[in-house]
Amino acid sequence: MSGVGVVVLGVALLVSALGALWVRARDGAVRAPMSSVGGQGAQVTTQSVLAGLGIDPGAADLTVVQFSTAFCAPCRQTRARLQQMQTSRPGLAYVHVDAESHLDEVRRLDVRRTPTLFYLDRAGTLLGRSSGAPRPAELEALADAHAPVGGGR
Amino acid sequence: MTIPARPADARQVDPRGLRLAAWLTSAVLVAVLLTGSGVLLAVQLAVFAVGALAGLRYAPYGLLFRVLVAPRLGPPTEREAEGPPRFAQAVGAGFALVGLVGYATGLPVLGAVATGAALVAALLNATTGFCLGCEVYLLARRATASRSAGPHPA
Repeated sequence: MSGVGVVVLGVALLVSALGALWVRARDGAVRAPMSSVGGQGAQVTTQSVLAGLGIDPGAADLTVVQFSTAFCAPCRQTRARLQQMQTSRPGLAYVHVDAESHLDEVRRLDVRRTPTLFYLDRAGTLLGRSSGAPRPAELEALADAHAPVGGGR
Repeated sequence: MTIPARPADARQVDPRGLRLAAWLTSAVLVAVLLTGSGVLLAVQLAVFAVGALAGLRYAPYGLLFRVLVAPRLGPPTEREAEGPPRFAQAVGAGFALVGLVGYATGLPVLGAVATGAALVAALLNATTGFCLGCEVYLLARRATASRSAGPHPA
């Protein structure tokens, strides 16, 4: 038995358990922008950075912007889910951004993980953001509230 | 508005095999910590390296899954791209290499800490499917490509 190894093993098990709890609690959850640090400033920054990418929220009832990387398993499944949702929700716009080729925007928006999604209404208000594969029920609820199935344009 | 898909990234793997591989990796890394065995860590390093360099088709734990487990479970209901988990194997190989250097040069604390870091990633993947190695990718790109950052410190 290695004394150092046993200590490191204990720490690693503890960190893993805390990490797993964090993933279960937070991964994919939509965070409201007002509760995050920055408040109104974060709104303005996010809107201007996204506008700089050519994104116009005024073109749809709900615009979902997804930042992805190549080495990201949930990015694909998230993209497929949103494209699937678009087929029945005419008011839903979906924009896919390759994070690696937009690293300046990634820094300014403080995107740390992929997929990170931003949700904007037609007025350009940032409704929230989420990192990790979004939770299906939460995503559906957000879409129902802003771009319902078969909804008007 | 979209970014074209990468055509060469069509290779798919069974996510159940990845989870089993993560559990086996965790078990081996626990054994390394308990025994302080550099040899065992070298074995795990080889496993990581094969998966990262040759592809997950040749990864030893994946072979075990396909030969022994998959026939009993039936076909997978979903598949996922090989790229992310393969990249994570490379990250695991990096930690295993640092750990091996530690054990081999009489620095058992370095060996244990690097092994412990790999264990955290493997356990998180095994229990939740979360890929820590994949998460590191964007952070590394953000940090290393800083020359174009201009006046915005990350």
